[in-house]
Amino acid sequence: MLLKDTQELEAEVTLLESRLQDARAQLAASEYPSPPSSWAVKEQYNKTNNNKPTTSTRTSLHALLLLSDSALPLGSFAYSSGLESYLAHNKPSRTAPITSFHRFLKLSIASIASTSLPYVLAGYRQPSTLDTLDNDLDASTPCIVAQRASIAQGRALIGVWERAFRVSFAGPENRASEDAQAAATAIDDLSDALKSCLEDDDLGPKGHFAPLWGVVCRAMGLDLQQTAYVFVMNHAKAVLSAAVRAGVMGPYQAQNVLAGQGLQDTMMKRIAREWNTPVEQAGQVVPALDLWVGRHELLYSRIFNS
Amino acid sequence: MAWLHCSIYYTPAMPIPSPFQSSIAKPGQGKVVLSLLPPNNPTLTTLTYKYPLKLVPRTGGFVPTPESSALSDTCPSHPVHLYLLTYGGGLLPGDHIEVSIKLEPKTRMVVTTPQGSTKIFKTSPNNSGTTPNVIKGHRNQMPANDHLSDMSQQTLDVNIGRQAALCYLPDPSVPFQHSRYAQVQTFTVDASAKGNERSSLCVLDWVTQGRTSRGEDWNFHFWRGRNEVWSEDKGKRRLLLRDSVILDDESGDLDATPVSNEVEIEGVKAEVENTAHNTNTALAKPDMPPQAPAGLTPLNIIAERTRPHGVVGTLILSGPVFEALGSFMLHQFQSQPRIGSRNWSDHAPSSVPEPSLSYKGDVTWTAARVRAGFVLVKFGAKDFETAKHWLGGLIREEGSVAREFGEEALCCL
Repeated sequence: MLLKDTQELEAEVTLLESRLQDARAQLAASEYPSPPSSWAVKEQYNKTNNNKPTTSTRTSLHALLLLSDSALPLGSFAYSSGLESYLAHNKPSRTAPITSFHRFLKLSIASIASTSLPYVLAGYRQPSTLDTLDNDLDASTPCIVAQRASIAQGRALIGVWERAFRVSFAGPENRASEDAQAAATAIDDLSDALKSCLEDDDLGPKGHFAPLWGVVCRAMGLDLQQTAYVFVMNHAKAVLSAAVRAGVMGPYQAQNVLAGQGLQDTMMKRIAREWNTPVEQAGQVVPALDLWVGRHELLYSRIFNS
Repeated sequence: MAWLHCSIYYTPAMPIPSPFQSSIAKPGQGKVVLSLLPPNNPTLTTLTYKYPLKLVPRTGGFVPTPESSALSDTCPSHPVHLYLLTYGGGLLPGDHIEVSIKLEPKTRMVVTTPQGSTKIFKTSPNNSGTTPNVIKGHRNQMPANDHLSDMSQQTLDVNIGRQAALCYLPDPSVPFQHSRYAQVQTFTVDASAKGNERSSLCVLDWVTQGRTSRGEDWNFHFWRGRNEVWSEDKGKRRLLLRDSVILDDESGDLDATPVSNEVEIEGVKAEVENTAHNTNTALAKPDMPPQAPAGLTPLNIIAERTRPHGVVGTLILSGPVFEALGSFMLHQFQSQPRIGSRNWSDHAPSSVPEPSLSYKGDVTWTAARVRAGFVLVKFGAKDFETAKHWLGGLIREEGSVAREFGEEALCCL
């Protein structure tokens, strides 16, 4: 009796495993044609946790952790994405500083999602168009403060890729998949163009952050969902880190916000909203933010570069 | 505004015989070509338009003297003034205005909107054959609840040749409550021209919170303004600048249920003609509460994202004709007092006094020289009058626009 039960259970496990594999294969083939829901993300991570990791999930998890690390040398700590200027323009006299900060965080995420995320997604989907995306994002960035920040981080990302990641993810002894290889080639092409470009050519390649992020994530084997999520999450982390250093809140409070369901919901909502936005339709949804970022230059004292 | 009440309408059903008629396919389309005929005679070689669009040219109003123009060596031609009009002074749901302008080398054009602000009338969810805007019979009836077709749209496509200049300082667009509007303005310049031969453009694009007299505060559904400048050389196009602002209340994200059950009395043609003169008429509800009319969610996403401004806008400057104005704006921006600086010498208030127009506290603005020599000015102000006074003041103080194009180029400011 007991033996029979065990056999039945084993049969069921086998069946379920094969179904799981089928579902995985389907998911991989479809390459996330629809925006992720928070449910899908959780489900995916559950699967990763509960089953023996395959080589590909392990590599992608490893890359994910590398790219989400706040110690990734992109210099993100130097930018407050307009927070410093916002605080100077909106003296938190009547409203509590935390309330005011939450407003800024929400606006900032909405803005990064509407202006930059389409370029991240486009970079991931078509790495070969990287030079056009770079030009178009440069044309679409209305203020030089934001432009400088984007270019500095983009070039830092190329640096990290070339000096650190390239050998492990696209090296000669590492058999990268075909599309990861295509992404690596696109980064190389942009990097070469940047090196050969004259300093005074202000229409030359720039190396903006958002499209490069998409391409680098593809070269490192992340999926599109992860790419978008880490991009927005890293932005939120940078803003919160700036808030801690600007004295808006303490480090525990910042972690509390980062861990909160509210932030997750905001991020998922913004990502879902921009999932199919073509880059031509990208635009600023928070006009006030452009003004704050642009007026960062007018601050009497500054601790951040943006 | 007398033409508003006259009965000469172009109608799709009763076309006026015209040699140009065949080239204009759809209502709301217009085409203008400005050429320079020898010796130095700017002439509109093409001027066609179809209801509800109206294009009225005016020449000879202003003659730049060689002394008055900073670029006398390029021998500026007389600017031609083009009035961009729509019947009723605004756009109804479903209106699609499509204007194409070609400025041939060395020509100059001033484009303004003499009707005051471009009113974006509301999208009525239950648009039916009985609503007054259809009684007028000239505009196509739009199917209800179709998000794409009930949106008002305006497309402006300007090709600016070598040494040609466009000065486009229109009134702001005023989206009414519940309206939906999208605008794409594309400017193409000659990439092969260098130095003082480059094309010049000055474009202002601004949007207000709505009719403040009726308590509107950014409570329209959707407004998108996109301005692009492309360079073109032998068919090869390249994006030089894109300025894109999207104001979306995101009500379309959820399952679309009508936001309000108010009686549909706005956005009707009958009122349209009245609003050209007077916003509040017998038709209008006099006792509209100033904030959050019934049916609106208390949190207005667009207001939250534009706060504390009642008007936001962008001014794009490029090319030799507007070089001086661009530098002036940059200088004015950079000489604003530092934010957060203190006068340590005495017990004066913490902020430096604001002596000049450009420092006006009600206007928050930024100017930057971005790529390809473009100067981009972005501003937010508490209301339309403040913005108009501020921007008009700065452009007049600098003076080159009036010198090159005449005071009438500034008629909207």
